[in-house]
Amino acid sequence: MLKFALKNMAIKKMQIILVVLSIVISAGIGVLAFNVSSQVSDGITSNAGYYSLIIGPSGSKTQLAMNTMYFTDEPLGTIPYSVVSALSQDGMRVNTAIPFAMADNYNGYSVVGTSPDFLNDKEMKEGSLFDSSSTCEAVVGYNVAKYNGLKIGDVLHTSHSSTGLDTHEEGIKVVGILKESHSSFDNVVFTQIQTLWHVHEHEGEEMHKTVCAILVNTKNPAYALQLLDEYDGKIVTHENETFTLQAIEPMDAVRDVLNDADDTKYIVFVLCAVILIMNIMIISIITLLNMYHSSKEISLMRLIGISMKKINLLYIIQNSIIGLVSILLAFGVSRLCLLMMNDYVSSMGVVLNLGLVYPLEVVILLSVFVISILPTAIWTFVMSKRDSISD
Amino acid sequence: MIEIKGVTKRFLNETEIEYKDITFETGKSYMLLGASGCGKSTLLNIIAGIISPTSGSVIIDGVNMQEKSQKQRDKFRIEKIGYIFQDFKLINEMTVLDNINILNLEGVNTQNAPELLNELGLSDKKNSRIKHLSGGQKQRVAIARALVKKPDIVLADEPTGNLNFAIGELVINELVKVAKGKTLIAVTHDERLAKYFDVVIDMNEMTDGKRDTFSGGEA
Repeated sequence: MLKFALKNMAIKKMQIILVVLSIVISAGIGVLAFNVSSQVSDGITSNAGYYSLIIGPSGSKTQLAMNTMYFTDEPLGTIPYSVVSALSQDGMRVNTAIPFAMADNYNGYSVVGTSPDFLNDKEMKEGSLFDSSSTCEAVVGYNVAKYNGLKIGDVLHTSHSSTGLDTHEEGIKVVGILKESHSSFDNVVFTQIQTLWHVHEHEGEEMHKTVCAILVNTKNPAYALQLLDEYDGKIVTHENETFTLQAIEPMDAVRDVLNDADDTKYIVFVLCAVILIMNIMIISIITLLNMYHSSKEISLMRLIGISMKKINLLYIIQNSIIGLVSILLAFGVSRLCLLMMNDYVSSMGVVLNLGLVYPLEVVILLSVFVISILPTAIWTFVMSKRDSISD
Repeated sequence: MIEIKGVTKRFLNETEIEYKDITFETGKSYMLLGASGCGKSTLLNIIAGIISPTSGSVIIDGVNMQEKSQKQRDKFRIEKIGYIFQDFKLINEMTVLDNINILNLEGVNTQNAPELLNELGLSDKKNSRIKHLSGGQKQRVAIARALVKKPDIVLADEPTGNLNFAIGELVINELVKVAKGKTLIAVTHDERLAKYFDVVIDMNEMTDGKRDTFSGGEA
């Protein structure tokens, strides 16, 4: 039966290619849209609750949160390092106060100056974390190492401009490579905070002893609220310059972004529903046209003695093959698009995981599979009821 | 043995054909001769169980086919009857062998197809597509498909209808040869082919009632 079904399909190549293409395009778009929106939304939320508090210069709190947690956007400005020192000394309330500065890039990848604490929970693929007491050492994200062919011991030269030209003379030695995490950490070069100061001091720039933000973990949530009150709006002076601080709760800041992401997800749901309805229409029309043209073939088979049951089965097998091939191709195409989109969304701080399959994606693909068989089943059922060979 | 008893067939256009009783004996070849519309093809379709008579019955080896369900008649047709259609009823895009092997769908053993095609002079065409064959070759394929299941009864509806006389005669000669020992009932309006059959029946004498150009269809 299968052999004959395949032979029968081979003589209708063009019709079948059209059906497969229409299914692949519509189902592929549905699956891709849902996957991307979910991964972007999940990527944004995953780190939001990690720190109790972020302290930085006054300005947009969303920008501060996105910059420090996902390395997106430009830093708001700088604040004195003395704030980090003050927080670190507050051992009663503060567990860790991690300095964060973003000033340079390496071949387009952001360079973050921080302390080893920032990477404590990250797994290393090779090498080790940099030493906080020395300078000019780097731990690079998985993608940075992979796409730039970096190995432990290599020396990289960062640049102040995004074009990659005009690199700093002082090199930074790679001491560690992070394991792939499918997060924004894959696309960043991490170095000691003092490396950034050191590199810029050499070139006479005014950056020494400042940071872009401080990520704070408190011993309990009550201390976080206390520190929030203390530091939000606080004015500090450093080398005759005045800085106004702001303190934010990361979750609170990300909530605005999440609301937007929820809206996007809702739009994607509607899009998926529209695509499924279009799918039903396209597949039904093409299948019914095919079946109409096949009615001559069906009556021929009936005349030579093939039962309607076998004919039904034959067409259902054919359409199952078409449906199966189509949804597998749709899935493959969606993953290929995901791979191509990774460069774009990784710049927003989210790295898409090609292996992540959401249950709704499976539901979409299975629905498309069922839809691809249903019109045939209905048509052959109608044909069997109208069978010309009957009592 | 096939017995036709009191069979009539009324069509949707009210045309009615009434057949006189007749018996086709096992192992003999019959030629049904008659003008178009006299009910020759209809009789074959009734015997094959493709259409049902309005009244009367077809009794094959003592079994009244009208007492059987359509499903049972289909099963009987696929197992016991080889039917050769005037317009061949072949799938043009498929090969000769595929057109025969289509019967595998109903569990028919088609292993002797190459041998049969060889006997019909088509051994070099078994992998050719039907659309690339001549009319005579197509008719031979139709014969091979009808006989591959080794049927007890062979029905042939105008097997030479689409062929010129010389090729038609060749095809009939081969058909009679390969169908030897089976009950063969062939419909034709060409009297020149009568010499190849054991019995020739003039359908004009066998049917009563109004005749029309209708040659098959639904009851």
